[in-house]
Order: sequence, then structure tokens, then C-alpha cells
Amino acid sequence: MNRMQGATLLKYRDHRYLKVASALVLLAMAAYLLSGRAGDDAFGGTVLGYLLGIAATLIVLMLMLYGVVRRRIGGTMGRRQPAKDEKATRGEKPFRAGRLEGATLQGWLSAHIYLGVLLLVLATLHTGFHFGWNVHTLSYVLMLLVIASGLYGLHAYLNYPTLITLNMGDDTLDDLLLMIAELDELAAARALALPDEIQALVQKACRETRVGGKLWEQLSGEQRDCPTRYAVQQLPELSATYGRNDQPKMIRELYAMLLRKEKLVQRARADVMLRARMTCWLFLHAPLGIALLAALTAHIVSIFFYW
Amino acid sequence: MILCLLIHVSRTSQGLPVRQAGVIAGEMIQIGRGAACPVHLPDHRVALHHASVRRADDGSLHMDAAGEAMLKIDGIIARSVVLQPGMRIEIGPYVLGVETAPAGHDIALSMEKVHAPDGHETAVGLKQPVTLEALGFGKRTLGAVLAACILLVFLLLPMLPGASQALDKWQADLPVTLNGSWSPGSLTGGHALFEAKCSTCHKRPFQAVADEVCTGCHTQAGKHLSNETLHKRAFGSMRCTDCHADHKSRGKLRHDAEKCVACHGDIKRINHDSKLADAHDFATGHPAFHITLPEGVDADGVERVVRLRQQDKPVERPALKYSHKIHLDKTGISSPEGDTVMQCRDCHRLDASGEHFAAMTMEKTCQQSACHALNFTEPVEGIVPHGSERAVMSRLREFYGRWLADAPENRTQCEAAVGAPANSVRATLDCVNDLARRNGAATLFRKNAECGECHEITPVASTDVPWKVTPLRINRDWQPGAVFSHAKHGAMDCTACHDKMNSQKSADIAMPAIEKCRECHVGKSPARGKVVSACVSCHRFHNGEGK
Repeated sequence: MNRMQGATLLKYRDHRYLKVASALVLLAMAAYLLSGRAGDDAFGGTVLGYLLGIAATLIVLMLMLYGVVRRRIGGTMGRRQPAKDEKATRGEKPFRAGRLEGATLQGWLSAHIYLGVLLLVLATLHTGFHFGWNVHTLSYVLMLLVIASGLYGLHAYLNYPTLITLNMGDDTLDDLLLMIAELDELAAARALALPDEIQALVQKACRETRVGGKLWEQLSGEQRDCPTRYAVQQLPELSATYGRNDQPKMIRELYAMLLRKEKLVQRARADVMLRARMTCWLFLHAPLGIALLAALTAHIVSIFFYW
Repeated sequence: MILCLLIHVSRTSQGLPVRQAGVIAGEMIQIGRGAACPVHLPDHRVALHHASVRRADDGSLHMDAAGEAMLKIDGIIARSVVLQPGMRIEIGPYVLGVETAPAGHDIALSMEKVHAPDGHETAVGLKQPVTLEALGFGKRTLGAVLAACILLVFLLLPMLPGASQALDKWQADLPVTLNGSWSPGSLTGGHALFEAKCSTCHKRPFQAVADEVCTGCHTQAGKHLSNETLHKRAFGSMRCTDCHADHKSRGKLRHDAEKCVACHGDIKRINHDSKLADAHDFATGHPAFHITLPEGVDADGVERVVRLRQQDKPVERPALKYSHKIHLDKTGISSPEGDTVMQCRDCHRLDASGEHFAAMTMEKTCQQSACHALNFTEPVEGIVPHGSERAVMSRLREFYGRWLADAPENRTQCEAAVGAPANSVRATLDCVNDLARRNGAATLFRKNAECGECHEITPVASTDVPWKVTPLRINRDWQPGAVFSHAKHGAMDCTACHDKMNSQKSADIAMPAIEKCRECHVGKSPARGKVVSACVSCHRFHNGEGK
């Protein structure tokens, strides 16, 4: 998804879901203020509190349905669903929710975003601004985390694809890794005729330079004490020590190779970092969404268990 | 012009070489992964333009690396080389072999991709997991684990105390109770005692807290209506918790007017015979105040009252002659202790409730500063008690009996006057009674002085006590249907609401009208500089009818 598609996502069908969500936000706020209960008397158990709670629960279920819909019509993003007979011939399981026929994943996602933000308002009014160390506030906090991670995801989807393209150009990550390997090989060959200290430096840079890795290395886009960077820093100093015969020329060439490698490694790491940052939120958003559903179940059951 | 025979070498499945030859020609022969290069080496490790073959001035053919590219000639890295048959030049995964040129060609180059396919050549350790998925994080697994933990701790465990009383009792003593996470807020006041044991009030799962649970302790809470039928009609489906929602708000009582107005907004719908006017909101929909006056005790000994509309300007009949104007004179009122400027609170003293005033008495109220002493001066000096008429007369007789005994000349003169035989008991008693009556009439039981200065006195046909003082009926609760805390309004002057400064008669009623209250109070809708007042600010639900 590029920036243009992202913009379409928010402006889907002339801001249809922005309008729906805004109208509901205004309606809920007006109802809350006009109920005359704003303050200590407001809580989830009033008539308005129940209405807000029911609306918020339905919205949560609708938002979670997006996870199902995404898998069903995934890959047709932005396109209309194929007609039923077409699907049948392709042997796909027909999408059951008849009313959702014709909906695009982009439409679903647009609604998902705006209803998610609407949920923030409805659920906050539902609490009546009473919070405590209990399952009710746990549900609210989980909801906040899910919405916050979702908003981060929106930010990532709108911005990171452009950054990834700017960083990579026409190359893929595998291309970069091959180029790095080639440079490693050349640098190793070049270092063969050089003193042991330089040889060891180059070997270390070949063997221990890593792209990707653990969670933090992917998210930060850095390798702690990167051997390639270390080699690039050390080589000029060593060259001063061993600057005799034809070695300065060879060291210069080696240095050029290492510099190129360092740039490639940085690009590769930036790619891994951008992709990790673009997808990391979903590893919170989806599990916390499931956790929210569980907490919501406990919240609702507890209300009626101890009525 | 260089004429080059280019031989593509590929291998069969048995590893035997297959050679396909082609001829390329040019001033220079470019080698690279770019499509424009005649020696096309399609691999990303090869630069777009990696090297070129050129003819040197001496006629020999050279291969020069382009840009930053490097050549590996027979295992040695070089930037430029003179091509000799038998040379192996490695460029990326390819090996270019220089062969002996056949006749008519300047050079022959064999080209073979010898290294393993792309992607298998990265250095050990270079390629680590590059996606989060590759780290083994599972969205569904994490979600399922979180959900299972939440369901266990926040759904299953809190349910358990409901299943077993022993478990319920045991968990109540734990530092963190099993069902504590379900409590939406702490309990207020004395209810805090039950914080750890939900089953104190929540007797059965999925059943609302029954009213009996509340009335089991709160036995004093009266019904709003004494008529059972009417009570059922008005409050059939209502529960205590509809108004008293503990846990959920900081106060236990609902302060909104919804429930009250549901009936009192159209009271005739609930009770066709009701004499109450409809009420919606104190500021915009509240009837004018009524005044309740005592009407004395009926034959059954029950105090009767009458409820009158305030705008009809009812008058009080306390059977007391009293002028607030004289007593509150700003220049002072004369008293045995000198001129005294009196304040309202000199007589009206708040009782412990802060709502009503303590009953006024002759001794504590009227005789302060030695005022209103009950002296009589003719023919002897004395003080009579403030009480019943009979007690006053007994005191008078006592005085005159002693007076006659102490002065025989008076006795003789008196007995002569009453015409009885001298020195007889009868004559003395007649004399004492006569003196008491005459002096009582002259000094105490006068219409507009002494007793009559404050009391209404009527003569009655009795020889012992020939006067009757009308009993006082001083009203102490003008609006029993409402509560009003004088203590909370202590910062205000009494006369700001009660216009008594110019009242000359006790019949004057100086209760403020609703407009006076509305100068400071509004209903449920807040207004700048006004106090929001709900129904329960002045009315009590549980005090029965009329409150």
C-alpha cells in the first residue's frame, strides 16, 4: 500500500465511515451531557450506560470480524468480490455473510479504523470516568492498547512503504545479501596477501556481520559492535602501520570494498527494520484483540453474575 | 574492432559440458549484468557494467574492471589484466575462460556459471531471521494464551466462591479475594464491611440483589406510601438498588430526578385522588409552597393540621399577642437590665437537628434579661409562677392568707367588708378568696396588661379560678413535607428570608415563597452562581407521605 492507497483508505467512498463515526460520536456525547449525569452519577449501569456498552460491544465484534473477513477476501484488496458463480468455479468456499458481498477489503479496513476510534469515545463514556483495579478497567485498558497499536499500524501503513521503496530501489533484500556475499568473497581474497591483523579483521567482518536477527536487532536495524563497521574504522589506522611496498594500494581497494559492503549492510538492515516496524504492531494488535474479547466476556458475565 | 567467439558452457545432468558458440564484435566488448553488455552475466553480484575488453596500443587485448568492480584472475584480485589463453577470470558466480582464438577471431571466451545458484552463497551467519514471523512469534498463540489467562483469573476464579460457602468464607480472608476483580468500585460507609464477601448481598448468581437483603438490615427505612395498593401501583417493579447504587458512584444515593418525576410529573396518573400538584424540576416545574398549620388536638388525641396554599396568605392563630417589630427595634427595647437590642437568635435557638428550633419557654425565652417578671403589687408584693391559672390563684391566696395573719387590723377590716361573723374560719377564707380575686383581676388577669399582655384571657363562671387563658399553639414545622437545614443556611441573615422586622402581630406568617429559594437554587440544570438542587435535596423518600 502506498501513500495514495493509504489516502484512499481514509477517504473511502467520500469519507463514508468518517461521517458515520463522527455522527455517532456527537450523538453519544450529546446524550451523555444531556442525561444530566455527567459526574459522579454516571456509570455503566444506567440506561445510557447500558446502551453505550451494548453499542461498544457490537462495534468490538464488528472490528474483530475484520480479522475473519481479511482472510476470506484477502488478496482482493481494493477490488470487488468476485461473483458467486466465479468463486464456485474456483472451488472457493463462498463467503457466508451475504450482505458483505460486494464489500471491498479496503472498505472494511476504512470502517475498521473509524469505528475503532469511535469505540474509544463510546467506551470512555460507558465507564462514566470511573476506573479501578478490576476486570472492567482491564477490559478498557486492553481496548486502549488495541486501539493504540492499531493507530500505530495505520501510521506505519501510510508511511513505511514509501520509505522501504526509497531505501531499496529496484533491489530486493536477497539481492543485497548476495552482493554483500560477493563483496565478502572479494575482500577475503584481497586480504589474503595482507598482514594477519588485517586478514583477521576482514574475516571477522565476513563471518560475523549479520542482517536481521533477534527482535531488537530487527526493530533497531543495528548490530551491536558491527564487525564491518569496526573493520571500516580500523583499516585506515592499520594501513598507516603496514604502509609499505604495494600494500597501500591493496589496502585502499580493500577499504573501498568494505565501505561498499557497509553501505549495503546498512541498506539491508534498514529494510529489515522498516519491515519489522511496519509489521510489529500486528503482533500486539491481534493477540490483544483476542485478550480483549476474553476480558469483555468476563466483564459482561460478571455484571450479570452479581447483578 | 574486436571479434570475439563467446562460448556458453552449460552442464548436462551427468555433468558433461555443452558448448554453444556465438560471435560478438565491437570496438570494446562490455561485460556486466546490464542487458546492453554483449557478455551478459545475469546475476546481482555482477555490476551493471563490470568490465570491458579493449585492444591496447600494442595490439594486445586487456580486460579492465569498470567503476568499483573487481576481477579475480586465477585467484588473484586485479583491476586490469592482459588476456592470455588459459586464464580463468571470476566475475561473481561466473568464470570466463580465455581460450585460444580460432582463425578469424581475435579472442575466444568461454562463459560458465560455476557457483551454486543465487541465495546459497551468503556467508555463514550473515542471513539471520529478517522477518518477525521468522522469530516464531505467533499472533494466535499469544492471543490464545492471554485470553486463557484472563478467562481463568477474571472469569472462572471469581465464580468459584458462588459455588461453595466454605470457599467463599476462606477466600474472604485472603489479601486478594478471588472475586475482588469483579467489584466495579469500593463500597461506601458501613457497607465496606462486606467488601470481601460479595455473597452478603449478591445471594444468588445471575439474580439481582433483592430488596429483602437491604431491608434485612435497614429496618427503619419507611415506605414512601402507606397505602399498599397505591405503593404497589407506583413502585411495583422498582428495587432498592434502582436508587441506591453502591459500588458504582461515590455516593450511595441517586441524585437525579428521573425516578421522582416519573410519578410526580403526572401524579394523577398514579393516584387520581392525589391533592399534590405535578412537579418536574425545582427551577421550572415546581408548585408554589404550602403552609401547614396546627388545628389543635381532635377527640382521639391526634394533633390535626391543615395544609394551605401560601399565595392565599393564610394567618396563624397562636393565641399569643406578640410584636416582632417592638422586640427587634433597632434602638433597643427597655428591660430591667437597660435598653437591649435583640437578635432573632436570642429567642429562636436551633435544636440539635439543625433543622428546627427548640421550643420557647417563659423562663428561658421571655424572662431573659429579667423581662416579663410576674410581679403583683396590690396590696402586697409578690411573684406568681408562670403556669396554670389555678397555680396563680393558689399563690395569691397563700399571699393573702399570710398577709391577714400578720396584720389583725387588716383582717378585722376585711371580715367586716365581707359581712361574716368575726374571727370565724369561714370569714377568713371568704376574705382571702375575695382579696385574691380582686387583686388577681386588678393586677394579673387583665385584658391587655400583665397576663393579658401576651395571652388571650376569657372570664369563666367559677368562684375558684374565674379566668381561662387560651392555650398557645406555636407552629414549629411549617412545611413538614420538606426538610430545610437552618444550620446549612447559617451564613444568611434570618430576615433575608423571614420578613419579621415590621410584623406587629403574631398572626403574620413570614415563610419565604418558592421565588425566594430560587434566587439561589436551581433544579437539575446547572446555572452560573446557583446551587443545583435535586428532589432529594429537600424531600425524603422513605419518610412516608407528606415528606
